[in-house]
Amino acid sequence: MSRGGRTARRPSGVRRVRGRRRGWLFVLPALAVYLTFAVLPALHTAYLSLFEWDGVTLGRWAGLDNYRRVATDPALRGSVVNALVLVVFFSFLPVVAGLVTTALLARHRRRGMAVWRLLFMLPQVVPLVAVGVTWRWLYGDDGLINETLGGIGLGGWARAWLGDFDWALVAVGLVGTWVLSGLCMMLFLSGVHKVDPQLYEAARLDGAGPVREFVSVTLPQLRGELAVALTVTTVAALAGFDIVYVTTGGGPGEETAVPGLLVYRLAFSDGKVGLASALGVVLSVLILAVVYVINRLARPERTEA
Amino acid sequence: MPMDEGMRAGRRATARGPGRPGPRRFLILAPAVALLAALVTACGALTPGSAADPGRPRTVPSSTAVPDEDITLKLTFADAPAMVDALVAAFHRKHPRITIEPRYTQFADYVKSIKLTMASDNAPDLAQYAVGMDDIAARGDILELAPYRDAYRWRAKLPASALDQLSGSRLTGPGRGAAGKRLYGVPAGLSMTGIYYDKELARRAGITRPPRTLAEFERQLAAVKRAGMTPLGVGALDSGGLHLWAALLNNAMPPAEYRRWIKGERGATIETARALAATRKLAEWSRKGYFDDSAIGTTQNDSTGQFVRGRSVFLVNGNWAAGQLAQAMGKKAGFFLMPGARPGARAVSSGFSVSYAVSSRTAHPQAAGAFLDFLTSAEAQKIVSDNGFLPTDEDAVPVPRGVLGEVARAHRRVTADDGMNHFPDFAAPAMLDPLRAGVQKLMAGRTTPEAFLGSLQDVWDERYGGGGR
Repeated sequence: MSRGGRTARRPSGVRRVRGRRRGWLFVLPALAVYLTFAVLPALHTAYLSLFEWDGVTLGRWAGLDNYRRVATDPALRGSVVNALVLVVFFSFLPVVAGLVTTALLARHRRRGMAVWRLLFMLPQVVPLVAVGVTWRWLYGDDGLINETLGGIGLGGWARAWLGDFDWALVAVGLVGTWVLSGLCMMLFLSGVHKVDPQLYEAARLDGAGPVREFVSVTLPQLRGELAVALTVTTVAALAGFDIVYVTTGGGPGEETAVPGLLVYRLAFSDGKVGLASALGVVLSVLILAVVYVINRLARPERTEA
Repeated sequence: MPMDEGMRAGRRATARGPGRPGPRRFLILAPAVALLAALVTACGALTPGSAADPGRPRTVPSSTAVPDEDITLKLTFADAPAMVDALVAAFHRKHPRITIEPRYTQFADYVKSIKLTMASDNAPDLAQYAVGMDDIAARGDILELAPYRDAYRWRAKLPASALDQLSGSRLTGPGRGAAGKRLYGVPAGLSMTGIYYDKELARRAGITRPPRTLAEFERQLAAVKRAGMTPLGVGALDSGGLHLWAALLNNAMPPAEYRRWIKGERGATIETARALAATRKLAEWSRKGYFDDSAIGTTQNDSTGQFVRGRSVFLVNGNWAAGQLAQAMGKKAGFFLMPGARPGARAVSSGFSVSYAVSSRTAHPQAAGAFLDFLTSAEAQKIVSDNGFLPTDEDAVPVPRGVLGEVARAHRRVTADDGMNHFPDFAAPAMLDPLRAGVQKLMAGRTTPEAFLGSLQDVWDERYGGGGR
């Protein structure tokens, strides 16, 4: 949506309007695809959420009943809370890990940074289902983690991590941390790469130590990357499905049930398409709200621009 | 995508200063939104889904005579591909003009798609019966088979409880039609749960024979615990916990009462004193440490593997594990049913059949009926038994040796006592997760037996309601 571009130079208002219309023409193909495959299904889901429907037989108008149920059913509400807990593991910890790594590596440019970035990226390359299966082995009764604990004399700590009511959510969360930390590190390291070295030099001349340098130079320069990292990881936490589905299936009890899992289960196993849609809508709204806040916070102050 | 959107919005704002969509933009947006709304309401216009077609037949025709022409039937299924292939080939040898094309779908996908599959206009002629088939029957997408049952005399050939399990629920209409009970499927082979034990390890704890009463079994569990071994292997991460609970419940609750609950009969409830006692027993065993600490995090498969390696003396599982155990443990493995309160009490267990229903859209109900009847033949029963299922006709196959034989003999007792109960998740499609999660909570002491039963009854109430039909 350029503002008329070249045609804007001409004084004729008619031309300008026509130019703008032509602009829409360019957007149309992409817009049509977007509307058909993203917007319409979303609206259709919202529409379905107003029905009590098993997916096959004639649905029954339910109004806002499904939303009321999402708000009051402890299992559904609990799943949202679990997802928020996972934000800590999927988003907060990876971002912190990424920043620490960056702080350690940013000051000294070395050759071979690209190799490190590639290594950090590796967990992203593995399909999440494979990640889940692998971690299920690691966490297993005879898995590597318990063996290690036993080996260093902490055998008393060994447990079936994914079946433990207190630890299952943490265990699942740490899988997310493992997957997403690499992404954050990679983002930040490449972000630091494009920071003008003169800024660091100037800071050093002004007598800034490593901490000051990080806070005053690196962090502000990484604002954009931070926003991307937070957005991607938060969405991964809130809309997550694969890792939980593969590792615990929501158990033990409902300790690790997340909305994504319940949407799937309600719609396809329990025949409650309306309720599943309502939960999906609530989840989307929640995600949009969080993403909006993140981008709001990450927006550069106007004085800088 | 929301990320992209947000990022773009952010950049736009910086490029243009604090931008608020101007009135012009609104002029463009408003019609777009209106158009979208119109589209959504036009294609959905209506309520989602479709009502059943009243013109379609709901019952098989009274004649069983297969027309003399080349017929192809499609069969969709989820269990035992090798067995289905063998059955289909054997049937084709008997009826050379009828060809059956089996189509295999993984079980998890099968139960999720079967409703839509059977409601579509090109539904397969035959389909394996699964949880949720009651809804499909209620909608009229599968045929009621009672006329064939009488014509083919299936009552004489098949165990009563196996037929009863396929007679639908309250949702499919009153339990008894004009011609007696309804029937929506025919079983090929049967399954059953019970308890395996490691005879060598058991002897070390002073146990020399399977228990005859629940009290004796509890003494054995305690003895094993005292001997420093894990008494009972349970794979409660998936369905092992549910099988254990059902086994205790089967012996506590009168089968008639339990079956009324499974079938959604009006006024049925699981919140009874006897069900509560059974549930408390499970919680008590957990408190006493009769299960491995990690049972909640162990799958059924893994718990079976651990049992083979001697990690537990007893194991809760079904007949489907018998082949594996016989191979891995030989004579060491034994099997018994969860015992009742008194010696010689009615033998009750949980199980279901691999069975097949007929689509109401089939053009060849008689050919489908011929296949269903073939399943009851001695030839088919041999195939079924060879593939690890229990035969519906026990006399058709010799009793095997070892643990397989112990399973077969236990199954005979259950059949003789009409003691086969549905798995508890058959009460409602939404029952499986509350059961799995609930038993896990019971084992971890995170819920009370009362609250557990209450949560199950809530799911039941939601499905069958007060009103019903």
